[in-house]
Amino acid sequence: MHDLAVGARARLALSWTRVRRTAWNQVALPWGRLRRSTWGRLPPWVRPFLWFVLSLGVLVVPAFDDTWMRMFFLVALYATLGMGLNVVVGLAGLLDLGYVAFFATGAYTVGILGSPESPAIDVQLAWWLILPLAIGVGAIVGVLLGLPVLPLRGDYLAIVTLGFGEIIRILLLNMTDKTNGSSGLFNMPRPSVEYLHDLGLTNRHVVDDVRAFYILIVVAAFVVWFVTARLRDSRVGRAWEAIREDEDVAEGMGINTTKYKLMAFSLGASIGALGGAIYAPFIDTIVPSTFSLLVSINVLALVIIGGMGSTQGVVAGALILIGVPELLQFQETKDFLESFGWLRTVLNAPIDLVNRVTHLGIENLPPSEEWGDRLASYRFIVFGALLVLVMVLRPSGLFPSRRRQLEFEAPPEAERPQSEGIT
Amino acid sequence: MQPLFLFRSAEFYSDQFVNGLTTGSIYALIALGYTMVYGVLQLINFAHGEVFMLGAFAGYGVLMGMGGDDLSGGAVALAIVVALIAAAIASAAVATGLERIAYRPLRRAPRLAPLISAIGASIFLSHLVDDYFLNGEQRFYPTIFPTGKVELGPVSVSYLQLFLIGASLAMMALLYWLVQRTRHGRAIRAVAESRDNAALMGIDVDRAIVLTFVLGAAMAGFAGVLYGLFFSAIRGSMGFIPGVKAFTAAVLGGIGSIPGAVIGGYFLGLTESFGRELLNEIPFVNLPNEWKDVVAFALLVLVLIFRPTGIFRQKEGKRA
Repeated sequence: MHDLAVGARARLALSWTRVRRTAWNQVALPWGRLRRSTWGRLPPWVRPFLWFVLSLGVLVVPAFDDTWMRMFFLVALYATLGMGLNVVVGLAGLLDLGYVAFFATGAYTVGILGSPESPAIDVQLAWWLILPLAIGVGAIVGVLLGLPVLPLRGDYLAIVTLGFGEIIRILLLNMTDKTNGSSGLFNMPRPSVEYLHDLGLTNRHVVDDVRAFYILIVVAAFVVWFVTARLRDSRVGRAWEAIREDEDVAEGMGINTTKYKLMAFSLGASIGALGGAIYAPFIDTIVPSTFSLLVSINVLALVIIGGMGSTQGVVAGALILIGVPELLQFQETKDFLESFGWLRTVLNAPIDLVNRVTHLGIENLPPSEEWGDRLASYRFIVFGALLVLVMVLRPSGLFPSRRRQLEFEAPPEAERPQSEGIT
Repeated sequence: MQPLFLFRSAEFYSDQFVNGLTTGSIYALIALGYTMVYGVLQLINFAHGEVFMLGAFAGYGVLMGMGGDDLSGGAVALAIVVALIAAAIASAAVATGLERIAYRPLRRAPRLAPLISAIGASIFLSHLVDDYFLNGEQRFYPTIFPTGKVELGPVSVSYLQLFLIGASLAMMALLYWLVQRTRHGRAIRAVAESRDNAALMGIDVDRAIVLTFVLGAAMAGFAGVLYGLFFSAIRGSMGFIPGVKAFTAAVLGGIGSIPGAVIGGYFLGLTESFGRELLNEIPFVNLPNEWKDVVAFALLVLVLIFRPTGIFRQKEGKRA
């Protein structure tokens, strides 16, 4: 009886899924796929509520003060970069550890073409004019860096792209006649919103404070999400996934692997450049040391920690890996820690006792006012530990996309790459 | 106007050659750890540079504990030997811990998970030393090694360089013997061939993997002390660049091959010391010192494109 009921319900659910799937496929919007995955498993009444909360979150967030907004901006920026890298790593399976190269390309395109200080060119273009240029330059750099590494796979690709990232930084540092070297470029052009001002939608003329930049990056993130989600469900996306699964077989099935790999590189690169083009006016001064390997590692880590191939995962990864270390620098965190002053009294008493008995000279805990500063300077230690911890606890990420989750069930030994042994 | 490269003095050539051998020795020692771990686990042990760094600090602790700059005569030799052994042991202990905490739970996980875990461990260790213990400062090795040179015609080698190159070669020979001629080495090679088959033959796979990490780390710790003695300044982030270059060396020699890693290390060291000078001979090219890193990476890209299995490896495979 019970089994029968379950069977009937399952059948009903199945047919309903079919109906819905057809309907959504005809509309063919990116959230069609979302419905079928994590989203689709939520109870129906939760979904509109969750949409409401999510969109409200985006709107309400600007009510925080500037330090919080800075954090949210960085989280959204890294989420955008993460979606870009996800095309390269998550979809096409090309492990790229030099993503910072494209981020720097975008930022320096804005700097060189728009900053009055740039020594190379005497023109100052408007930010909106530079933006498509930056994206285009990013795509070209992506193809240029992609071409020589086409035959490489896996870890070798990682180490070569890491080298490219470092080379770009050294180039920026040494091409002083174009980039001002280590003193960097400043006075970036601000994105003008004169049109929106004329429409009466905003009272500012340019995007110039953290809140406005946050809205800009959220809009960019949505555009990137839409584009990547649509591509993932298209013929191109299927070709990428085929290449990721097995390049030789994909080639055998008639997929032009060269073309699609370069496409993935250039799309990922142009998204990176887009992020850089928004980051440059936000930070206002760009110096080569900003574009270090740590940026590449951050982006790759948040893609993998979030669970490759899922957008929610990228956002969650950005919140954890960018948000938490930023959070450690906040005054609120310091105040919060300061309120634990009693803990110091409690812990110092036994330390004093041990010291009096053994003469070991164990250091007392510092006053709680210093804990915040200490913690802020330890944020990279926390970051490294977080990476290890999340990977050990959830090796396939926090929100693995359903398709990948199925693949991630441990492959049998025979399918693993075999070494040729140590000789 | 500097003299054209080709017509530089013999002293110039021999100096560059000795410098290349010195840095090459350090690259080669570190590269051994990369190549062995990659051979067994197919994992780029990103934290290996930090294992090298911690070895340097362990050796520093021992040297300072035994008297630091006040050491003289026979005590110097004793202190350096103790420091080298202590560094090898400390690095091996750290690597064992890393394997247990960060890599072993991920042995059956998707391929990128251990890589990210290794990167996390690398960031954790380098910043632990830099931000927690040293507050961003550096430490300096005591300059206790006897100064002086051996002159052989145009070749002049300082005692320290001679010791560094000789000790490295001795350690590499020891490692080669351990891996090729002993039971434990055979166990490691068997696990590298096939983990499951090795287990069926009664080999304790976990133990062989730990042993791989221990041997590689001991080499890195040894290299750390040599690095400290030669370059003096040590800090938490010192392991990154030598680490990446040593991996480059391992790839150059064909990853998984122990002689390959050694040859790759020396090849990279020599190419670096000659490469920038050579490029600067081209008119209008004036590359500052940072460009020696670019030379290393450019070399890596070229080798991977034209000889994906390494310069020396003959066996055809689609590893890269």
